[in-house]
Amino acid sequence: MADRHPEHEHMEHDHMNIPKYLGIFMILVVGTILTYFAATVDLDFIFPGANTLLALLIAFTKMAFVMLFFMHVYWSPKLIWLSAIASFFWLAIMFAYTMQDYFTRGSGVFTG
Amino acid sequence: MSAHASDKFVYHEPGLQHQFDDMKQQEESVSIGMWMFLVQEIMFFGGLFTAYLVFRSRYPMAFAAGSNHLDAFWGGLNTLVLIVSSLTMALTVYYAQKSNRSMQVIMIVLTMIFGAAFLGVKAIEYTAKYNDGLIPVAGLNKKVKEDPGAHHEKAKPCWEVEHGAAAAEHHVVNPRGEFLWTDCSLVKLAKDEAFLTDAEKIGYFSKDASGADVIDINKFRDKVKIFYYIYFVMTGLHALHMIVGLLLMSWLLWTAWKGNYHAEYYMPVEMSGLYWHFVDIVWIFLFPLLYLLGRHFHH
Amino acid sequence: MQSADAIGGNVYDKPKMNYLTNGSTLKSWLLTKDHKRIALMYLISVSAFFMMGGLYAAAIRLELLTPNSDLMESGTYNKAFTQHGVLMIFFFLIPSIPAVLGNFLLPIMIGAKDLALPRINLLSLYFYWIGGGLALFALMQGGVDTGWTFYTPYSTTFSNTFVMAVGLGIFINGFSSILTGLNFIVTVHTMRAPGMTWFRLPLFVWAQYATSLVMILGTPVIAITILLLAIERVAHVGIFDPAIGGDPILFQHLFWFYSHPAVYIMILPGMGVISELISNFSRKKIFGYEFIAFSSIAIAVFGFLVWGHHMFVSGQSIYAGLVFSFLTMVVAVPSAIKMFNWTATLYKGSVSFDTPMLYAIGFMGLFLIGGLTGLFLGSIGLTVHLTDTYFVVAHFHYVMVGGQVIAYLGGIHYWWPKMTGKMYSEFWGKISAMLVFIGFNLTFFPQFILGYQGMPRRYASYPAELQVLNIFSTAGASVLGVGLVMPVVYMVHSLFYGKPAGDNPWMLPGLEWRTASPPPTENFEKMPVVTWEAYEFGEENGLDLEEAKRRDLAVVS
Ligand code: HEM
Ligand SMILES: [Cu+2]
Repeated sequence: MADRHPEHEHMEHDHMNIPKYLGIFMILVVGTILTYFAATVDLDFIFPGANTLLALLIAFTKMAFVMLFFMHVYWSPKLIWLSAIASFFWLAIMFAYTMQDYFTRGSGVFTG
Repeated sequence: MSAHASDKFVYHEPGLQHQFDDMKQQEESVSIGMWMFLVQEIMFFGGLFTAYLVFRSRYPMAFAAGSNHLDAFWGGLNTLVLIVSSLTMALTVYYAQKSNRSMQVIMIVLTMIFGAAFLGVKAIEYTAKYNDGLIPVAGLNKKVKEDPGAHHEKAKPCWEVEHGAAAAEHHVVNPRGEFLWTDCSLVKLAKDEAFLTDAEKIGYFSKDASGADVIDINKFRDKVKIFYYIYFVMTGLHALHMIVGLLLMSWLLWTAWKGNYHAEYYMPVEMSGLYWHFVDIVWIFLFPLLYLLGRHFHH
Repeated sequence: MQSADAIGGNVYDKPKMNYLTNGSTLKSWLLTKDHKRIALMYLISVSAFFMMGGLYAAAIRLELLTPNSDLMESGTYNKAFTQHGVLMIFFFLIPSIPAVLGNFLLPIMIGAKDLALPRINLLSLYFYWIGGGLALFALMQGGVDTGWTFYTPYSTTFSNTFVMAVGLGIFINGFSSILTGLNFIVTVHTMRAPGMTWFRLPLFVWAQYATSLVMILGTPVIAITILLLAIERVAHVGIFDPAIGGDPILFQHLFWFYSHPAVYIMILPGMGVISELISNFSRKKIFGYEFIAFSSIAIAVFGFLVWGHHMFVSGQSIYAGLVFSFLTMVVAVPSAIKMFNWTATLYKGSVSFDTPMLYAIGFMGLFLIGGLTGLFLGSIGLTVHLTDTYFVVAHFHYVMVGGQVIAYLGGIHYWWPKMTGKMYSEFWGKISAMLVFIGFNLTFFPQFILGYQGMPRRYASYPAELQVLNIFSTAGASVLGVGLVMPVVYMVHSLFYGKPAGDNPWMLPGLEWRTASPPPTENFEKMPVVTWEAYEFGEENGLDLEEAKRRDLAVVS
């Protein structure tokens, strides 16, 4: 109870309207089409893995729109922001510390 | 559970559970609880994404080969289908906030239709994999008996097998329904361009009689199998979440039909929405990671 | 009887409706949403699992009495230690303090009527029962022999035992723990009574909160890992199988991503109990409240960065080993902070040595040894000698039994009068606390030496020259066993013949002592308003020390 945020007194009623929802929807559609066609172009001339990076960037952008506006995170209390961010942080821990093993196995000074 | 111990009568709003003081406290609790559940879900899928990451970085060519054989058209279409369903879900919440019962019901029905469409497309895709012998479990693929009359082509080296031609055009014999993969053209390509990693060289090649490294289709097939294993586990668990979502939606449809939700009380709609969007987000990542990455190798 | 005036309340109170008497049908228990009843059902269930796990332990120690494998053949022995580990870790230790004491006390300590999501709480109990039932079923069918760690490819390909059933049991049980954690987090955020700010929360609540974070962030990963293991076992294809280019070490990464943090699920709640005991039985405000609170959170966070220290010799890259080794040293810091603060709290406190406090003091000594030997094992050079020996076994028993189990027992003794309204025999309580302490050290200290001398873990036989220490260990185990069975006897006895404990037998300021014992169904008759800091023993709080001592004599003796 001590945590109530007065500015969120009543769950947001008028932050979003139909045109806005449709706008977000269009962004998601465009993102999907973009990611589809970007995958067919070889971007390795920029740097190896550029395709992967682009695909993930688009995916993260789409996710951000879904979370912020469809899931109303944008108007949610800090705790919701925190838990969303924390879960990705924990995923990053899992990825990073697992991969630091795989990327360094049997290579460099540390052959083992 | 009634409050036996309290000696004075406390007014409870309908729908307010006994442990809370007011609706606001209840809403806040439910919403935090739902988010914690989603955090839990993210970590659950996270284990799978870790596995994907490990093996994709280890066997990029096998993953590209496997990925090229998924149908990006169906995958893309399904992405759009889910996005539409997310829109209708978001609108369900919107109309609940506006106390508009009939639009709520319509939107829930639409959400369910698109959700079911997604599963339908998945079923089409899975069937195609079944026919092509791409299910990584022996015995679960279509069993094709040997046809004595069929003329036998001379076996080509695997790098000359045309990409994507495996089962569709040739009559492939698969009496035990095993995982079929005869195409290693990508590895050949990668070998010629000299961009195979050390792990890949160990993973795809065997020594021939003279001690030289030659592409070993059996070893390569195992790596493609790993791709398909991950594909099926990830999309399978995702589909399972869709099914749960549809059950949730059926319940929501029933309660919305009864007119339970209005501007003052729409927590269940909002919470189901969170779940539905989460499942959508998982797919937003699965689509590029499984269907698209590596596609450019062929262009 | 509520808020501050409960402190001076009449000890022999008139009978009234409490959570135990509010409904006596079987249904009123099995379908209850009352966190206190759920806690009691957990108490009975985890105790049953503890006893079963204990029987396996007895079998193991008997086998190790002699160098040869004479009592069991090695296959049976493999099953014995696996089942011991599985029952103890997943079905006793992980739910022990959170699901029993946490469930019972967390809402009361923050002044709430119940947990925020009571139905979810009941669901988590059922998940626990279903998971536990499956595990028991598997044990009766013939059990598992993979070790509690289920390493691949043995568990996926070679073991011919009931890996699937036990795995499924652990999978389902995992969701019990996730739901408990979820519930606690929500409850702490939204259910605190007016005036109960974050920094007035008892440290037990902070510890439960940190534990819940680990449960939510870690447990799903073990769930998916077990799922992958199961699919692989059924479908004969997968990512852990080296024969087709999979990687068994990935299993270890995923497993320990959960299971190292899980060892903090198995110690943080204990640390929370100890913070309560130390402060309350020294009748002194705890030293460095914020440090203890934040060190719990720090442990929960940093605990996720060190899992690779279980994999030093598994074939993980040496570079990764170095990083994990370094981080292991870092993660010991917050635990050390707690130790220092507890010690400082004792200093110049008016310490009374009631049974719970004996456990708390025992904890400090044993956890110190357990934690320090963890550092030995975490140093990448030394561990090559010590890993997979009895040194590891001794280490984790010092933290898990010497830490969590002792804290759990301390907590049960401490809150027993609140839970049941009855006082157990202080005399027998003290005796059993001593027996547990002596028996424990006699059992496990020799194992450090054995391990250092090279006795490997998980074998039914060992070289004859190691027998003497093993005899000590087995002898100690019997003392420990007696010490652990005694509380069951005198606690149950106290239910029927114990003196009424009164609402606040120890004259303490915490909210849980300001309601009746046993508490009414909704915990307080009027919503408490908190106006005092945690562990405030000031006169103005009605906690006169002389009066407390007089009470102590009157009630307890
Ligand atoms: C000060 C903190 C701690 C440190 C630095 C530490 C370090 C370690 C290390 C390095 C190992 C691996 C030993 C090996 O296999 O070679 C280990 C094993 C183990 N630790 Fe700890 N530990 C700590 C606290 C704890 C706590 C609090 C618990 C549980 C309550 C615990 C339970 C275990 C268990 C169960 C194992 C054995 C796992 C197995 O079966 O292989 N540890 N510890
Ligand atoms: Cu560890």
